[in-house]
Amino acid sequence: MKRKIRLKIRRHRPGSETPPRFEIFSLTIDAESSVLDALEMIQGGQDPSLMFRRSCHHSSCGTCGMLINGDERLACVTRISQFKGGTVTLEPLPGFPLLGDLAVDMTPFYRDIDEGWDYLRGAENLGGTKLPDGVERFERFENCIECGCCVSACPVAGEEKPFMGPAALAALNRELQKTEEPATLPLLEQAGSERGERLCNRTLACSRVCPTAVYPARHILDLRTRLRGGRREP
Amino acid sequence: MEHIIIIGGGGAGAALAHDLTLRGFEVSLFEKGELTSGTTGRHHGLLHSGARYAVHDRAAAVECIEENRILRTIAPQALEQNDGLFVALSQDDEEYGETLLDACRTSGIKAKKISAAEARALEPALTPEVRGALQVPDATMDAWRLAMYFFATARRSGATFHPFCEVQGIDTRAGRVTGVEIIDYTAGKTRTVKGDLVVNAAGAWAGRVAALAGIDVPIQPGPGVLVAVEGRVTNMVINRMHPAGEGDIIVPQRGLSILGTSLWLADDPEDISPPKEHVDRITALCARMVPAVGEAAVRSVWSAARPLIRDAEASSPQQISRTFECYDHKVIHGVEGIVSLLGGKATTVRAMAEKTAGLICHKTGHEIPCRTRTTPLIPWRCFFSDAPRGGLPRSAP
Ligand SMILES: Cc1cc2nc3c(=O)[nH]c(=O)nc-3n(C[C@H](O)[C@H](O)[C@H](O)COP(=O)(O)OP(=O)(O)OC[C@H]3O[C@@H](n4cnc5c(N)ncnc54)[C@H](O)[C@@H]3O)c2cc1C
Ligand code: SF4
Ligand code: SF4
Ligand code: FES
Repeated sequence: MKRKIRLKIRRHRPGSETPPRFEIFSLTIDAESSVLDALEMIQGGQDPSLMFRRSCHHSSCGTCGMLINGDERLACVTRISQFKGGTVTLEPLPGFPLLGDLAVDMTPFYRDIDEGWDYLRGAENLGGTKLPDGVERFERFENCIECGCCVSACPVAGEEKPFMGPAALAALNRELQKTEEPATLPLLEQAGSERGERLCNRTLACSRVCPTAVYPARHILDLRTRLRGGRREP
Repeated sequence: MEHIIIIGGGGAGAALAHDLTLRGFEVSLFEKGELTSGTTGRHHGLLHSGARYAVHDRAAAVECIEENRILRTIAPQALEQNDGLFVALSQDDEEYGETLLDACRTSGIKAKKISAAEARALEPALTPEVRGALQVPDATMDAWRLAMYFFATARRSGATFHPFCEVQGIDTRAGRVTGVEIIDYTAGKTRTVKGDLVVNAAGAWAGRVAALAGIDVPIQPGPGVLVAVEGRVTNMVINRMHPAGEGDIIVPQRGLSILGTSLWLADDPEDISPPKEHVDRITALCARMVPAVGEAAVRSVWSAARPLIRDAEASSPQQISRTFECYDHKVIHGVEGIVSLLGGKATTVRAMAEKTAGLICHKTGHEIPCRTRTTPLIPWRCFFSDAPRGGLPRSAP
């Protein structure tokens, strides 16, 4: 079923004289169309200068995070048909430097994530009773696609803030879970540092917005428990 | 050294930037959207063993297995290395399997015949109708992270990247390309960039880019549909044991299963919205191999355009070779200073870059060996952590 909708998009170029403004685009979409499909339609037909990031189209690269009607979400897996009313509002992820329109610079996201942290893990058991010749374990990528949605939603994280943020702490905890003592020590130190878990105030916004079920707040609680000698904080 | 301008920030442009900077060239790359916003990133994510092509496209099969081995060592964290199966569901499939096994052997692809019971012991989600299988060294790739490995390494070696900068003109003087005209969407301004040589690495858009220099290149966008469904139901890549067709590959990735694909020929690489009937057909065909994917909730549906090299001889689009070519337009069209890199697969971008950088060395009179086969790539995260800080624009309040 085709439907007419309006996308209200925040437009701004840092450094330009034109102040930020919302621009409205009208277009006809299908029942299945994602926000990303709609953005591509606009870029292809109405305005090639519209800036946004995207790559995989299926929630694995992590480039298309943005505010959709005020919530941090991935444009590629957010279907427009779920929204009542004819207008969907799009804004760039807060907390990251703006490149232009909906595109942000992810540099601060990686500030506390070590480039060498293992991105692979053992895959879930699917009931198989054998492994293929030459394969020692079935493995898969970590769930975190490094989209930045949680960092953006977290009330105490952000580019100018001291907190290392939920994604870095979740990644740190995953690394910790794969590390044997005494190599765990520097990781625990990082988690317990002034920029670490102590700044989290457990609003759980991170777990709510994560599009790939990483549940960063659980990882933070894990770290907190481990750092404080097994005592679970209220 | 010479300043090389690359047009196109997909896997091919990324791998070429890496190869050229390793050889000492100065490199600037322009991409009209974000890096990897073209076909790279939204492809199926299969690191081909080459088995899919072994019977009808030996050249592509040999390229795939060679690159498959190299990428496993230079970019391991961009791959789920669980191998793949070709599964037979009919007698025809089983007969094709014999041909396939031979073809794999002659192409250097390690393939092992296994029984139906063994296949189901590896992957219980396979249909009980499976009659036998071949194990091959397929793998899953993270399409974005693999490309970003190349970008990160090239950036550290000095390449500069200009996303959101579209090439709108190619400047020529007296039969020689002198540079490109850019519209920089980040600044809303146009500018001219001078270079000693321009490389057209625009994938399915390569025809349009070449036309800016008055050149015709034989590129044909060949879109296909992909369907991501919820749930990781196999750990291995599952292929149908039959001549490469539609809806015959399932690639597990994270908690998803990616079903694909279809193929048609298009004129416009952007006018490729997925036809509903393709989604239904792909899902039904894949569900014959692994029934659970037919029941699973759909996470996303999209399409991407292959950069196919036109081939009037091919009896069907599936038969068009997936190998690649690099063209020196001086030789073919009498235009100096521009090279096009066409065709190929995400699996073979490193090889595409090696050949193109070799051609560029030849044209510029350098004799510098390629080092990308053995140089480990720097993890994708470095693309961001290496980025110059401080000078970045701040977000507006
Ligand atoms: C449905 C499908 C499934 C596939 N599955 C697999 C697979 O499983 N495994 C595999 O190995 N391969 C696969 N492929 C093939 C693979 O995706 C492509 O061969 C590869 O990604 C092409 O990379 P590229 O860099 O040549 O092109 P692209 O990634 O398309 O890069 C070209 C870039 O040029 C840019 N551009 C265009 N015009 C301009 C301009 N004027 N100025 C600046 N920039 C411009 C575009 O925006 C684009 O980003 C698949 C392809 C399709 C379509
Ligand atoms: S739970 Fe902690 S990390 Fe998560 S959003 Fe709240 S404050 Fe931020
Ligand atoms: S934890 Fe979730 S929301 Fe945060 S960066 Fe990773 S995938 Fe995105
Ligand atoms: S485009 Fe990759 S996560 Fe949305």
